[in-house]
Amino acid sequence: MKKTFLHDEHIMLGARMVEFGGWEMPVQYKSILDEHKSVRENVGIFDVSHMGQVFISGDDALNFLQKIVPQDVSKFSLNHAHYCQLPYSNGTLVDDLIIYKLENKYLIIVNVSRREADVDWFNINSKGFNIKIDDKSDEFSMIALQGPKALNVIEKAGIKKENQPKFFTISQTKLFGFDVYLCRTGYTGEDGFEIICKNENVVDIWKKLLEYGQEFLIAPVGLGARDTLRLEAALCLYGADINEETTPVEADLGWSVPKDKKENYNGKEIILGQLNGEIPLNKRLFAFEMLDKAIARHGAEVFIDGKKCGYVTSGSISPTLGKNIGLCLISFVGECQDLATSLNTKEKSIGRTIQIMVRNKMYNAKIVKKPFVQKKYVK
Amino acid sequence: MSIQPPEGILCSKSHEWVLEQGDTFKIGLTDYAVEQLGDIVFVELPELDSEFAKGEVFATIESVKAASEIYMPIGGKIVEVNEELINAPELINENVWEKGWLVKVQSDSFSQDSLGLMEYEDYKEETV
Repeated sequence: MKKTFLHDEHIMLGARMVEFGGWEMPVQYKSILDEHKSVRENVGIFDVSHMGQVFISGDDALNFLQKIVPQDVSKFSLNHAHYCQLPYSNGTLVDDLIIYKLENKYLIIVNVSRREADVDWFNINSKGFNIKIDDKSDEFSMIALQGPKALNVIEKAGIKKENQPKFFTISQTKLFGFDVYLCRTGYTGEDGFEIICKNENVVDIWKKLLEYGQEFLIAPVGLGARDTLRLEAALCLYGADINEETTPVEADLGWSVPKDKKENYNGKEIILGQLNGEIPLNKRLFAFEMLDKAIARHGAEVFIDGKKCGYVTSGSISPTLGKNIGLCLISFVGECQDLATSLNTKEKSIGRTIQIMVRNKMYNAKIVKKPFVQKKYVK
Repeated sequence: MSIQPPEGILCSKSHEWVLEQGDTFKIGLTDYAVEQLGDIVFVELPELDSEFAKGEVFATIESVKAASEIYMPIGGKIVEVNEELINAPELINENVWEKGWLVKVQSDSFSQDSLGLMEYEDYKEETV
């Protein structure tokens, strides 16, 4: 199993380590609930060094990216971040990505479990383009600093206003004397930063952030709370909510896909067709809240009007709301084809009662609006 | 959780404890099991008067991450469940030996079923 450069720090902080995507990562330090609360109320620090960093450069970098994502990369401004998807030719997802436009290159953040598949797909699609695909994941570490006090920590660390990136932008600056990419992004629904640095500097940066963050009640946060935080914000997790069988529109990510992009891209016909309503959806991701007392977890079967029509993709307690919440993928084909019309608008779907089977018993839930907890980005 | 367990407690390899109290037996989870589970957020307890053999699943405990089945350390009939846990499952984390008990049972098979249960010190040695 791979270890991040912060492995020893986690052990010293008393973390319980688990396997995630081939990496040994902290799942919790003391308590998932306390760590979750720290991020919502103060600030949490996460080791996300398992995430991959791939740089794309060369004369055809823009044209190449235009071919591989549904988003219109020609409209990306310098130092801005964009949430993108990486579809196969049939519109289903290789991965979801954050793409940063830097000077003369693009930085792509990829999911750890998909790093190889992504780079393979980049290579397959690179024929005829004058580009360089540079997977630097093994050279970089990554720390996330998330929560309403994240900015206080960054300010205390001496990052001046002009070097503080605004929401969904990136700046290249020095942090504690080390070169870093400082990004105003995250996976919690809170304001915060992601810091990409060289492996050899990450321990110093981690320790100093913990030290400078002390007065703001900073807490180290593991993957357990990272999952409950992102679920409350209704942010998809590749491998759970989205995978090689879901398209962006089926995953309810249509908001991120422009209808007016002129360039052709992989899966455009299907993705755009689904977005415009010309191609019917086979399934769709919905958010739900349990009405009965049970936690519906990944894989639990979903029933509507007595028919089995889907399954839970992510489910957990929401520590912020004190309710049990989740995402589920509901089928619109076969026995469930009438759902395609009865659930096809927000007005019709929100509030609809569904049943979820947990340990062979049926429990009521209802479809709700996303996100579960309002995002508190500072824009 | 560092509180010492009550005198006379017996523990199973599957991490439950049993304490004889008059003509019933109180059953709970060990401190080691609770530490491994982390924050407990939901408890599903059996119905009164239901009967279970030793080793049968009688309850489900859910932490933030996962659901875990809990096994009977001895056979018996459920005569009381800890209803406080329904609204306050965190009592298990906070007070595993007292307020965090799960069920009380009547057992005719205790003398047979308790073979293989360990005293706390031996359990500790075996698991940690």
